[in-house]
Amino acid sequence: MRRFLSAKGLVGLTLVVLIVAIALVAPLFIPETAGTRMDMRARLAGPSLVHPFGTDQLGRDLLVRVVLGAHTSLTIAGLAVLLSIVVGLPLGVVSGYYRGHLDNLLMRLVDTLLAFPALLLALTISAMLGPSLQNTVIAIGVAFTPYLARIVRGEALRVVQMPYVEAARAAGTSDPMMIVRHILPNIMPQVIVQATISLAFAILAEAGLSFLGLGTQPPASSWGLMIQASRDYLDRAPWTALVPGAAVAMTVLGLNMFGDVLRDVLDPRARA
Amino acid sequence: MSFLINRLLSTLLTLFLVSLITFAITNLLPGDVAMMIMGTQANPEALEGLRQSLGLHDPMLVQYGHWIGGVLTGDWGTSLIFKAPIGDLLAQKIRASALIVVLSMGIALAAAVPLGVWAAVHRDRWQDSAASTASLLGVSLPDFFWGIMLILLFARTLGWLPSSGFADPAIDFPLALRHAFLPALALGLGLMAHLTRMTRSTMVGILNQEFIRVARAKGLSERTVIWRYGLANALGPVMTIAGLQIGYLFGSIIVVETLFNFTGMGWLTYQALLNRDLPLIQASVFVIAAVVMLTNLVVDLLYVLVDPRIRLE
Repeated sequence: MRRFLSAKGLVGLTLVVLIVAIALVAPLFIPETAGTRMDMRARLAGPSLVHPFGTDQLGRDLLVRVVLGAHTSLTIAGLAVLLSIVVGLPLGVVSGYYRGHLDNLLMRLVDTLLAFPALLLALTISAMLGPSLQNTVIAIGVAFTPYLARIVRGEALRVVQMPYVEAARAAGTSDPMMIVRHILPNIMPQVIVQATISLAFAILAEAGLSFLGLGTQPPASSWGLMIQASRDYLDRAPWTALVPGAAVAMTVLGLNMFGDVLRDVLDPRARA
Repeated sequence: MSFLINRLLSTLLTLFLVSLITFAITNLLPGDVAMMIMGTQANPEALEGLRQSLGLHDPMLVQYGHWIGGVLTGDWGTSLIFKAPIGDLLAQKIRASALIVVLSMGIALAAAVPLGVWAAVHRDRWQDSAASTASLLGVSLPDFFWGIMLILLFARTLGWLPSSGFADPAIDFPLALRHAFLPALALGLGLMAHLTRMTRSTMVGILNQEFIRVARAKGLSERTVIWRYGLANALGPVMTIAGLQIGYLFGSIIVVETLFNFTGMGWLTYQALLNRDLPLIQASVFVIAAVVMLTNLVVDLLYVLVDPRIRLE
């Protein structure tokens, strides 16, 4: 508990809670149209009382867009990580628990997928399926699955050799029971840590995909899209890049700090 | 020797699987591939022509066989958007990207190793916190955001370096270097942050070990203990991690090269994906995965050379 109360833990936790709260609450108070409302007389306007973060090239309020962007980013990243867990967790557990030929086969497949840079894999899948919210989730989720499966398998291998697993086996526990009762609960801490770190990477990946036009599509708000749009106006309106950039940085920084502390708490072996 | 043969055979097998997966992913296109490429307005004859030239009427297995046969014999086909032989395009673009990848790895390692060692030596003091905070910030920002900031600072404000474009290293190396520097720095910053964290945690682990205490007890200078004893043992793991990051770099060059309009491998891949140039997508995705795998192989073999303990296992 004391580690959560360290400066790093507190900052990380605060950032994560704050941003998740904004992402959850924002759509309830801000109508969808507010993010696309244009004010042609206030294009590329600097920060002011009316527009605290300034406006973009179409006179859209950057504060509204960055807040709506939080919802988009976290939804896509969250669902993508969930997808990678739903697919990767069973693969890793089965591989590590049963070992043998099945393990060889599955891990060969995982290693092959790991040869593809995650971003390249996500970009290719998204380009092939056609960019949309749903396909962005699939693209990032599939790209992250092999990493999760690898880590889960390693943990399952470790847990399987524990004396309590042997004892349970001697007591006649069936395989499915063993996995549910003894393996899964003992690898969960590592899965949670990995999920937190993956979430940070998934937010960066979503921003990258959207930046390249192969993720979230306009007119929806997305941090990557906002940074993309800012490129042509950097000289006149640097805030159009800085606002979404800071949003990405704060979110990913918060998740990384929180993930670091979480790992120290849940996985004492990794503590340096 | 048997280690080498095993490792080579395993690489060949994975390479084959990589080709299968590449082919599978690029056939995810829902519906009529020809129509996806040319659009719904295309005339029927042109569509049929494209189907014929891509061999879309053949069964999947025949299509794969045709493609992999071409890859093995050096006939990669023709790009639909560039109307040029893909083999030539790849050879040219890989050379350009190699400059960025090597440069960014160099920048990252040159900064990360001393910084990581420094943080580990001053563990839990302000120096450690400063290095940790800086590197956390580094891994938390997307490369393209670093890229935009660098453009703003070095190209727009100071006017020291070009913000976009490309020069062939074979023709004018200094100019090529000027064009490659900012993209390489944008990539290198994130990588540097990551490697600093890794160097620090590896060094912390090593500095806690018995032989370091013995070295100190023998009265060796702190400098010898840290650099000669500590770092020498940390370099292997750090090198392995750096090698694994080659994959990350080849993913990131797609974004960074596009941002800087640097017409290398990443830019080429992006153009292919954007325009659904199926033969070019297959070739570039396969080549990138193959380069990543081969780099990992080389790093593994280097590790064995550097650390004799591995050979004995």
